[in-house]
Amino acid sequence: MNTENKYEQAWKDDCNELSKRFPEREDQFTTSSNIEVDRLYYSKNEYDEEKLSFPGQFPYTRGIQPTMYRSRFWTMRQYAGFGSAKETNKRFRYLLEQGQTGLSVAFDLPTQIGYDSDDVMAEGEVGKVGVAIDSLKDMEQLFDNIPLDKVSTSMTINAPASILFCMYIAVGEKQGVPLEQLTGTIQNDILKEYIARGTYIFPPKPSMRLITNIFEYCQAHVPKFNTISISGYHIREAGSTAVQEAAFTIANGMAYVDAALESGLDIDQFAPRLAFFFNAHNNFFEEIAKFRAARRVWAKIMKNHYGAKNPKSWKLRFHTQTGGSTLTAQQPDNNIVRVTLQALAAVMGGTQSLHTNSRDEALSLPTEDSARIALRTQQIIAHESGAADTVDPLGGSYFVEELTDRIEAEINAYLEKIEAIGGAVQAVEEGYMQREIHQNAYETQKRIERKDEIIVGLNKFVLEEEVNPDLLKVDEALEKAQINALKNIRSTRDQAAVDNSLQAIKKHAQNQSSNLIPYILDAVKAYATVGEICNVLRDEFGEYSGI
Amino acid sequence: MKKIRVLIAKPGLDGHDRGALVIAQALRDHGMEVIYTGLRQSPQQIAQAAIQEDVDVIGLSSLSGAHRTLFPKVVQELEQRNAGDIPVIGGGVIPSEDIPYLLEQGIKKIFTSGSTTDALASFIKELMQVNGHVVSKPKKIAHIGIAVQNIEQALSFYTDMLHLDLEHVEHVESEGVKVAFLRIGETRIELLEPLHEDSSIKRFLEKQGEGIHHIAIDVDNIEARMTQMKTNGVKFSNDAPTQGAHDTKVAFIHPKSAHGVLIELCEQMKGSE
Repeated sequence: MNTENKYEQAWKDDCNELSKRFPEREDQFTTSSNIEVDRLYYSKNEYDEEKLSFPGQFPYTRGIQPTMYRSRFWTMRQYAGFGSAKETNKRFRYLLEQGQTGLSVAFDLPTQIGYDSDDVMAEGEVGKVGVAIDSLKDMEQLFDNIPLDKVSTSMTINAPASILFCMYIAVGEKQGVPLEQLTGTIQNDILKEYIARGTYIFPPKPSMRLITNIFEYCQAHVPKFNTISISGYHIREAGSTAVQEAAFTIANGMAYVDAALESGLDIDQFAPRLAFFFNAHNNFFEEIAKFRAARRVWAKIMKNHYGAKNPKSWKLRFHTQTGGSTLTAQQPDNNIVRVTLQALAAVMGGTQSLHTNSRDEALSLPTEDSARIALRTQQIIAHESGAADTVDPLGGSYFVEELTDRIEAEINAYLEKIEAIGGAVQAVEEGYMQREIHQNAYETQKRIERKDEIIVGLNKFVLEEEVNPDLLKVDEALEKAQINALKNIRSTRDQAAVDNSLQAIKKHAQNQSSNLIPYILDAVKAYATVGEICNVLRDEFGEYSGI
Repeated sequence: MKKIRVLIAKPGLDGHDRGALVIAQALRDHGMEVIYTGLRQSPQQIAQAAIQEDVDVIGLSSLSGAHRTLFPKVVQELEQRNAGDIPVIGGGVIPSEDIPYLLEQGIKKIFTSGSTTDALASFIKELMQVNGHVVSKPKKIAHIGIAVQNIEQALSFYTDMLHLDLEHVEHVESEGVKVAFLRIGETRIELLEPLHEDSSIKRFLEKQGEGIHHIAIDVDNIEARMTQMKTNGVKFSNDAPTQGAHDTKVAFIHPKSAHGVLIELCEQMKGSE
């Protein structure tokens, strides 16, 4: 048996193995003209272990699973959350009824920055960009009547990720779900907060410690949970190019791997739980090539640079969200078309899960109508377009393969620069990535103003009179109600238990070798608030003040 | 010339500063000195920074929906520190229906998504041309102009039926009209009769017959106001203010820019009234 046949045979074996658990959606896929659609189209002569292997095989250019969407569609996971836990719970249940397959929680800014709703810093922000969570009580309401062993939940939480994650575990326990059955993802990616998103609390070093504490805890107790979602999304939204998005994200990923190794964890234990999160913008083929190149680069780094042995450690699994900054406030219905293109690029690029933005997001949080259209967009791609019926349909396209190679090379060039600076943490502290991103953001703005770059409806094909669509309004009275509920919790809980648990966190925060997660879990179970726990950690760790 | 100093500030907890950073750089490229506060500034901190840095204007950016609470607070904090004369402008993700409220609360202008950095820079420059002060709000309607065929014939209705007092009658040669002013409260009704065939009132009467011709608004700083409006795309019937009736400087905004109404800006000359 020659080499090519060996790989082909391995792929076929993988497919057979997988079909026992996840049989393909159809016995025979066909087009409307009854032309048969094969699982994969490939040229035996072009097989190349550096570039283009079979799907599910290193370096995963064509996807991380052997059959991709022929077995299962990507997870349709719409990011949602606004106002109170009760309101958001209603939206979650609505989305699940509409056929969504995973949850994704948006928290409000005070929660994300570790302030309780009654903190003076929280004024005007409570419940605005996501749901307000102060204590376990809110989290219980958020998942009321949603069985945590049936849904997977993604939580966009970073600096206080350990606290919200512990609340999630506590809700699971109350529902009687064993920890090892909990599935989902916490974003937990602090480096991109310093670079692009801004919801940091503590300085890099203690922040990295909290992250590795989570890795370690999950490895032992919550093995199916993705412990981090290394995010390029916000880097791109802040104005980077597609190459910078992928490069800086991978550089950050390496920093997390380094930190985990340094704390004594075994790479093949934690690496399979690392997940990624990318953006999808409008340049269709570049986006597809970016996803393919990122997979290839990560696989090579994990295998060759870190020497990981477990193939699961090599696989870059990612969530995609369509590009918020590409949406226009002008003629907002046009955004549905942009989102469709971006979502299709993510699917052609082999995403594991997808959030499609709503048309009105340049104006406010989405209304229920807009959120439904966004979900329907994914469903139309999945069920009507046929794009999911063969694996990596653009594989072998001269253009896409060339773009993939070029992007891989440019990502590697950036990785070398960052390594020369001393790694991602050092590069962040020196503001290197921030400057690169800002430079491109500024140039993009200038190009748009000069009309060198056309944005339909914004600088060309403009309408004189815009119709104002109906927008979602977060009730201003919510802030007061949330503060009252918080006061109520504080007066009814066992205060001694809270004080003791906070004291324990303080003590163990001082000890570098302690894992803080069990102590944080005790505190949230005693109904200590996000703000109270963060304040203890602020006292010990200090606060990051930007550069 | 002294450089314009601008404070760009991010109130609240929102961490999205792409827009703030792009604007800071664009204003620097327009020759201004820009101070950027960084993230998470409270309204107090912003007001203090503005005074300390002696800035001419403050730009606020918010994408989190907290603008309704935080923008007015910045204005209040400035006023409490006797610095209410520093104009505050805002931008970000701000639904158009929130804009009237923010303007009412003392924000001078809101630039929403899709505004160009050049438009922002020229707005700030215009602000500064008016001696560092924003042109103030018009205080009242100076008069309502009504075109009539013949003042003598029309007058009796206004004086005898409506019981208004005739203030005075004069010829405004530059416009080719004879005008009569009738006082009503602190404003007036102005009857306009054409003096010759070339008068615009004559053409108006031929096209539309007698009726309301224009509304005049009492303003100050008419020249600066005109320049500012023109840079924002408002069209005027003449390039510079002209001599109006009753010792005033006047300028007419083209009805196309004013939703079908002919609006006259009208500034009282000093010493009159």
